[in-house]
Amino acid sequence: MHTGVRSLLLRALAFALVLETLLVPAILFWPKFRENIDSLRGLMPFKAARDMLDQFGQAGAAGYVCGQQFFKACNTLGTTAAVLFAAGAIAGEAHRGTLELWLSRPISRRRLLLERWAGGALAVVIPVFLTSSSIPWLLSFVDEKLSLGAMLLCAAHQSALLLAIYSATFFFSTLGSNPLSIGFGMLLFSIFQFAIYLIEKVTHYSLFRLADIPRFITICETGRLDWQVVAPLLLTSALFVSASMIAFERRVP
Amino acid sequence: MIRISSTRVDGTIKVNSLTRRFGTLTALHPTTFEIGPGGITALLGPNGSGKSTLLRCMVGLVRPDAGSASIDGEPLIGDGTAVRKHCTFAPGEINVYKELRGSQHLAWLLRGREREALAAGTRLADSLGLSLKARVRTYSHGMKRQLLFCAAMAPRVAVRILDEPSEGLDPSKRGAILDIVERDAAGGTTILLSSHHLGEVDRSSSRMLFLHAGRLVKSENSASVRAKAARILRLDYGAALEVPERAAAICADLVALGAKSAVARGRHAIVELDVADPRPLLALLGTNSDLPRPEGIEYGQLSLAELYRDIYGVEAV
Repeated sequence: MHTGVRSLLLRALAFALVLETLLVPAILFWPKFRENIDSLRGLMPFKAARDMLDQFGQAGAAGYVCGQQFFKACNTLGTTAAVLFAAGAIAGEAHRGTLELWLSRPISRRRLLLERWAGGALAVVIPVFLTSSSIPWLLSFVDEKLSLGAMLLCAAHQSALLLAIYSATFFFSTLGSNPLSIGFGMLLFSIFQFAIYLIEKVTHYSLFRLADIPRFITICETGRLDWQVVAPLLLTSALFVSASMIAFERRVP
Repeated sequence: MIRISSTRVDGTIKVNSLTRRFGTLTALHPTTFEIGPGGITALLGPNGSGKSTLLRCMVGLVRPDAGSASIDGEPLIGDGTAVRKHCTFAPGEINVYKELRGSQHLAWLLRGREREALAAGTRLADSLGLSLKARVRTYSHGMKRQLLFCAAMAPRVAVRILDEPSEGLDPSKRGAILDIVERDAAGGTTILLSSHHLGEVDRSSSRMLFLHAGRLVKSENSASVRAKAARILRLDYGAALEVPERAAAICADLVALGAKSAVARGRHAIVELDVADPRPLLALLGTNSDLPRPEGIEYGQLSLAELYRDIYGVEAV
């Protein structure tokens, strides 16, 4: 098997395992959690957290599962995976001095770039879909039901956000030569975005407003993608990929 | 599978006013030359003279700011993918993917080439005694260099561009690599190689391009070197030249006898003649009793090291 493909598969597998490892106990814990929502609400120190618990209470298992899988796991670990997979995509080659060798074969830069982008993008997105598709089956163990279609729609919505973050990081990787600083920079930005989500006055400026629990509950209820969010996110990804291609065409190894 | 249009295959490298700047630094001043088809051409110059920049520009790894180039009849356009299908390029830097095995790395390097190239590369590695089973992280510097060399020599192309292919190799491997390059060139392949090692260039190259500070300062071929050598007389005066005042006096006497110029280098007086015939000067030397008797006389020899010294004013290794 081609080593590049094997590396991507391993990354995707590792990410999927982490997501599933978080998902399984979270779902099995749901009955106990439901019983204690009111007590837990009293323990929460800030409003954003109390609101979240309210959403769980109102939307039931759908709200809880969307909170666990998408808002918590995918927004934090997914963002981390997207940043880690993209930061070294091109900058990593420059950092270890293999960029010239990589480019010296008779393969166009556009193709090399798109292959590299697509490989990492799939390693981010496929685990989100795979683990999300296991949710209906896992919920059957706690006598709850959610449709597979709704979960796949939520996964698609989440993937659009992760792809935008991945593509932005990929763009910086195309420009830079230090994957560590690119990764740290993007992770700090993501942490900052997550932090302001929890602050009432500035929460609407947070990127993660685009993929929070109310949005996923709406998707589950309507059975439709929120194109007003997904389309701009996909467009953002496309713009970053285009910018990456332009930058990469003239990059000196 | 590569497809090469038969109408375009001509085995030449044509460079026309190729220029590259990095900010305010002009790494490559407008450079023009044409080589091939066939033969080995050496690209020589000190560090930072623009050799690697020129080679990278030619294969599209660095976009030239001005000028044009074509390899094997294929013009350099865009990122140079079409040009790289018509030639192989072995980079001078040898940073490799250490986690791969040699065989995997060779296959990776030969992606985009014809299917037979991998088998040819494997055979070449075997002939050099390079183990492809080991991981590249266990390779020495020289082994990594050989791996890149095998990948550059394996595909069936009309032009090969090798940036310091023997750097870091021991003398035996250096010789083996030169043998392979010479055999390939004898089969009609055009080879452009950059090197710091004048001995190997002297042995294998039919033409030499000298770069200095991003400019092509000299282009020599075997005939032009022979013509230069025919005007060079080397007189061994032994210890007499070790005293600077004595050396200066001897050189002045040689010029007075009709030499175009004379300089003392070590125990030798290097005499440049006006004509490609040393006999008139030697006849005068025989009758001159002021000059010491030479311990040895060499004629018609011009080493590349001397050529290099003439051009750059520094001793080459």
